[in-house]
Amino acid sequence: MSAEHELPLRKRLAHWLDHLAHVLPGQAPIRDFVHHNTLHGFQHQPFGEALSAARALIGANMYWPEAKFRACLASGRIGDDDLAAALADLGVADLDAQPVRGVTRLAILLASLKVGMEVPEAARQNWLRRETALAGDAAFSHFTRLLAADRGLPPVAGARWAELRARIGKTWTWRSLLEYLSGEDVLERVRTILQRHLAAHLDLGLAAWRNPAQEQGFFAAWRASAGLDLVWEMDELPNVRDEILHLPDSPLDVLLEELSLLLPDQSQWYGYLQCLCLELPGWSGMFLWRDRHPGGGDGTPVAMLDYLAVRVVLERLLTDDLLRRLGGGPMSLSELDEHFAARPEEFLVRDALHQAWLPESLHSRAAHLLERARNEPVETDAWRHLAASIAPLMAGEQAAMSAWQLAGLSRGLGLTWAETAALNQEEALALHDCASELSPMQRGQAWLLAYERHYREQLFSALTAIHPHQSTPVAPSAQVVMCMDDREEGTRRHLEEIAPTVATYGAAGFFGVPIYWQGLDDSVPTALCPVAVRPTHLVREQGEPGTEILQARHAVRRERRLRWRESIYQATRRRFVAGPLLTAVAALPALAAQTAVILAPAWFGARMRAWRERHDGVIATRLALTAEEVVAASPEQPQHGLSDAEQIERVEAFLRSIGLCSNFAPLVLIFGHGSVSRNNPHLAAYDCGACSGKHGGPNARVFAAMANRAAVRDGLAARGLLIPASCRFIAAEHNTCDDGIAWYDLETVPPDFQPAVDTLVAQLAEACRAHAAERCRRLLSAPRRPTPWQARRHMQGRAGDISQARPELGHATNAAAFVGRRGMSRGLFLDRRVFLISYDPTSDDDGRLLEDILLSTGPVGAGIALEYYFSSVDNERFGCASKITHNITGLFGVMEGADSDLRTGLPWQMVEIHEPMRLLMVVEQSTALLMAILERQPALRELVDNEWIVLASKSPLSAAIERYCPRRGWLPWSGPAVLPTVARSHDWFAGESAPLAPALVLGGGA
Amino acid sequence: MISWLVQPSGWVWLVPALPLLAVVVNAGRVLLGRCDGDGAEPLTARLASLAALAGLALLLVIDGLALANGAPGHFRLAHWFGSGNWEASFSFMLDPLSLTLSTLIALIGWLVIRFSSNYLHREAGFHRFFIVLTFFQAGIQLVLLAGNGLLAFVGWEMCGISSFLLIAYGWHRPLATGHALFAFMTNRAGDAGFLLALGLAATWLGGFEWTALARASQISVVDDRLLVIGFVIAALAKSAQLPFTAWITKALEGPTPSSAVFYGAVMVHAGVYLMLRLEPLLVQVPDVMFGLVVVGTLTAIYAWLCGLVQTDVKSALVFATVFQVSLMFVAIGLGWTTLALVHLCLHAAWRLWHFLLAPSWLAVTRQRPDPPPAWLRCNQLLYTIALQRLWLDKLSETLFTLPTLSFARDLRALEEQFIDPAIGQPGLGRAVHDDRSLVTADGWPGHALASLSELLQRIEYRLLLRGRGGTAEKLMHRAGAYLQTLENLLEQPRYLMMAVMATFVVIL
Repeated sequence: MSAEHELPLRKRLAHWLDHLAHVLPGQAPIRDFVHHNTLHGFQHQPFGEALSAARALIGANMYWPEAKFRACLASGRIGDDDLAAALADLGVADLDAQPVRGVTRLAILLASLKVGMEVPEAARQNWLRRETALAGDAAFSHFTRLLAADRGLPPVAGARWAELRARIGKTWTWRSLLEYLSGEDVLERVRTILQRHLAAHLDLGLAAWRNPAQEQGFFAAWRASAGLDLVWEMDELPNVRDEILHLPDSPLDVLLEELSLLLPDQSQWYGYLQCLCLELPGWSGMFLWRDRHPGGGDGTPVAMLDYLAVRVVLERLLTDDLLRRLGGGPMSLSELDEHFAARPEEFLVRDALHQAWLPESLHSRAAHLLERARNEPVETDAWRHLAASIAPLMAGEQAAMSAWQLAGLSRGLGLTWAETAALNQEEALALHDCASELSPMQRGQAWLLAYERHYREQLFSALTAIHPHQSTPVAPSAQVVMCMDDREEGTRRHLEEIAPTVATYGAAGFFGVPIYWQGLDDSVPTALCPVAVRPTHLVREQGEPGTEILQARHAVRRERRLRWRESIYQATRRRFVAGPLLTAVAALPALAAQTAVILAPAWFGARMRAWRERHDGVIATRLALTAEEVVAASPEQPQHGLSDAEQIERVEAFLRSIGLCSNFAPLVLIFGHGSVSRNNPHLAAYDCGACSGKHGGPNARVFAAMANRAAVRDGLAARGLLIPASCRFIAAEHNTCDDGIAWYDLETVPPDFQPAVDTLVAQLAEACRAHAAERCRRLLSAPRRPTPWQARRHMQGRAGDISQARPELGHATNAAAFVGRRGMSRGLFLDRRVFLISYDPTSDDDGRLLEDILLSTGPVGAGIALEYYFSSVDNERFGCASKITHNITGLFGVMEGADSDLRTGLPWQMVEIHEPMRLLMVVEQSTALLMAILERQPALRELVDNEWIVLASKSPLSAAIERYCPRRGWLPWSGPAVLPTVARSHDWFAGESAPLAPALVLGGGA
Repeated sequence: MISWLVQPSGWVWLVPALPLLAVVVNAGRVLLGRCDGDGAEPLTARLASLAALAGLALLLVIDGLALANGAPGHFRLAHWFGSGNWEASFSFMLDPLSLTLSTLIALIGWLVIRFSSNYLHREAGFHRFFIVLTFFQAGIQLVLLAGNGLLAFVGWEMCGISSFLLIAYGWHRPLATGHALFAFMTNRAGDAGFLLALGLAATWLGGFEWTALARASQISVVDDRLLVIGFVIAALAKSAQLPFTAWITKALEGPTPSSAVFYGAVMVHAGVYLMLRLEPLLVQVPDVMFGLVVVGTLTAIYAWLCGLVQTDVKSALVFATVFQVSLMFVAIGLGWTTLALVHLCLHAAWRLWHFLLAPSWLAVTRQRPDPPPAWLRCNQLLYTIALQRLWLDKLSETLFTLPTLSFARDLRALEEQFIDPAIGQPGLGRAVHDDRSLVTADGWPGHALASLSELLQRIEYRLLLRGRGGTAEKLMHRAGAYLQTLENLLEQPRYLMMAVMATFVVIL
């Protein structure tokens, strides 16, 4: 291989890897779980097209099954008008045309959606014919008769072969084709050991013993082991070892050589590699992630090229072997064409086995013949004989399907028997063509649009209804700034109900301070900011001066405790002698602990916490906030602390962005959040998304500390942002799992503020308890109609319970985002479904503030909504299925059991009650300004124009709402503005467990 | 007879019976369709939990009395069945060994049921899981408390079946069902050993009672050895010792609590218990004990080596479990049975916690465990062996599965090519004669029947249907006339009298 040839290929390879990163799951190691659009690689295409493309490639469901939507239709969650509007939204042309006399296209399509075009399999149809009234169904018989004359010819075997063959390199590998034809999956033979090799190479800290050759990269490590492996002999593949041993040393040469053996056409190579990777999407994705993020590993070299080379080698070797057995002698892949061209009967039987119409008796005969053919040569007559029985069935199938669909349609359209009987063949075909005009993907999209519209109408109606009642406290007793998180909608609403004088704000939960944070007990700093941002400042937590002795004691004791814990957990699985000894030591405490934690999780959690604090000692801490020297800060060399100017700038930018520039209350609480639960590998997925799946408390604490500094206040005043001395910033963190609150630095609050602080602490605690009661309604194992105290105790139990697979429900049911003043939604019951982002349109004439807000929150909100969307519509492929069989692998992911693909996405327990919708973003700003921002920001434009989120504008001055449609521009909304009214949230949700429509809550300051 | 009724230990049969009752009730509810929806979950879980708790409470009472008055020991509850010189009975063994273990296992069982009621909430297989888990509790308690080998074997099988069902908990995944089948089949090899031993015990010792087995010194050493080897094979298979280890590493497909209770804390120790129970028998055959030491040591080395390379928590834990269980076998082989028992109890308690907290591994560990010594670390061959787990599953596939499959294929071919055509199948018959399409036949019996029917038809046709004046008609007419005459004669009084007298003569 000469250097000239290598260079362009290397370049092409780099491009290929870029492309692969778009298609494979982009999930980081599970410790750093961050929500992102599962189909981020398709985001440059419009939503509908992207989903079709992804469907073709991945084969996953992209929408809820139609049956589920139909159930929504039946239960009133979708209306007929929603469906009709959805068809118009979808851009179906000529809805008023009449393809059949007297019936509009719209009516036909609606009937087709409502009745469904699914046809039962042949066996079931026959059964229905025998056992039910189907045989006597006049419409069905009528259409069967009508269509019997119009039997299409069965596809010729040659054409069908060409169709399957063309999938190679697009959606199929040779393995898929051969599996389709022979029923044998060659990857299965090596999958287990390949996964073990992959896990061993990527391992971040589970295995004690690594592959001795791992430093030379995956290809070398795999080859060193595979060359010694006896499995090839056991599998009757003796030549494979020789081939592996004689492979070139450079994985690039291997890739090139093997690819040209598999596919002579170089233009198909990328497609082929993509299909190959998608056979094990989890492992491929993790390998690529580590290739792209060398810093995210443990120093082991991880190159995607290595992985691809191994996959391609195995693919070639194993397909060769299967081909040899299929053809009864050595056969190359290119000879497969001739092989089946000469044996059309054999192909027909192999193909028919996958068809739903094949009757059971023939199916079992065909399956048996295939099994025989895998082990011994089968005489041509056997194929011919079976093919002769199968061929005639193919023709009749299409007619029966169409008749079934037409009979359903005629019922759905409400045609009388006379009208049905009057349809001639031509009309019947026209009816059928019209009804099947929408592809399955388009049908799914139509349903989704209808479903989204139904909820959107409710929200718009609620926003219009609340408009005349808009109110905010004139002289607030406190201002509470929370995360925009949909879960905090509930907390805010309850706080406002309990304390009508409190004003609340929402913002991305890092509060405008992207930092590396190092707590007193942290050995390394953690980035607390959105994933896309890389902080340049480090803030550390330090013990108060004068407590050095205590600190040292704390550090020693804590370290000793953790070391003991670690050595017990590790040694009892790893050590030859210490293992049994430590087992004996740990057994009785473990038995006591598990009895306690299973019987009384909340009590045990509290006791353990108290014991830990007593053992380690509690240290009063302060922040190393202000930079002593200003350096050229970079993410690699972060500056310690922030300079005064930086602090002033951060505080000002944040306060202006949420519209808190005047009328400061005596207390301003910055309220971060995080989630604490036990025995939960997906812990990070419940935490603050704006802090990269970490806790946002430190950011809140840093912000409050900055805003309290005299130097910062002076600087702010100089910039026209006057915070009076009568205003004090405080910080806290909300535990969204047990609804507890951790307050920061309350001991430093001057005595003047103490009464106000006490009031706010009590109010917030009460609000959290009320919120806990609201959360209980969606949790089946929670008490029905609990009191706030009961609810809070229940949540504490959940958080401490090692057996709880649903400590909380995370962002499930999130559906919309409001960007605007709290006034636009204060007093609305939004069922914890809406991200609330504060923004004051009156002080943002050029839209710069809004632009920043949309840039930071749009992608975060869309990422959360779309990850939940895809994990719900196909939890098997996009999600990681049920938690209960999960098994942590290599400290970077989970497998199902001990031998599966790496599972990415959200577990079923997190999305089971989710209602998959795209995010509806309602911005309180004029359409002209929004358009201008979209013009300026391609990233936002991509999300909105490609319909990954739905954008709407609410006029800052009136109740007018307009929705943006990329095709038709801004569409003014009109609809009823009536809303059920209740005194308190509790009156609306008590005893309800299903999703609730918005309501007007009078106690909420309205 | 009455005395055991007032004694709490007489009620010990309730310990396995209560879970069985819960199984029956829950299974009945599922069968009758009473388990639809979320509302049915708490009852299922509560019944299971209650059965386990009641068993635990009863055992604690018995324990308390045993501590005060000494363990009740072996007692017979009822006759089961028997024949000739051997008998099977419902008997229980309440000695310190079985009481200790049984109480610990009952506590673990109860905790795991409580754990699962949250963990499996809203799973499609919720009720199935609880039924199987409760069934397992009944089985393992039967193993531990049974006073004889046969009753223990029933429990042994219940454990095996529930293990199979829970590995295949995700039955829609072919991998899970395949692994379940593998585990099930491997355990059948152990069962063969158990059955062999029981059969020999019945033949040579006249019963299955543990107390009777302890007297095995009466039989010859050779016989004794054969008997013990049967039990040892059963124990090795159940406790996943070499060469049976492969099944347990494939058994991790079920939910975490089932992995914890079956392969971490409870079932994997059943083999150790069996050996402890048979200690009096074992000590008579030192060579078998030596064999236990060898197998235990080999397994320990194997499990330790494989454990070092594992990259997923559950596999790492299962190898650690096998490692410590193999140490128990070594201890038993060396005669240190008390040590083995203590080790068993402590290990069960710890490993349950270890397994249940497997999802917390990210939180409880901070760094990679220490690497092995350099000579081992750099050995590529040993690494490959450890990663491939000594190819045990592949070997079993090559040595057992594939030959069995080929044999099955040959049998099927034989059946299809020869036996089926010979016997014939319904619905596949072809007309025997072209002109008589209604008579169809397939296979030899079919053709034979068709020929017979043809023959009969010919007779019918020839004799009866060929119209009036045929030979048969004439003959019958004549026979009819004779019979008529005979009847007329018999109706006359003299002949009637003669007939009556003849009857009397015969009677007298």
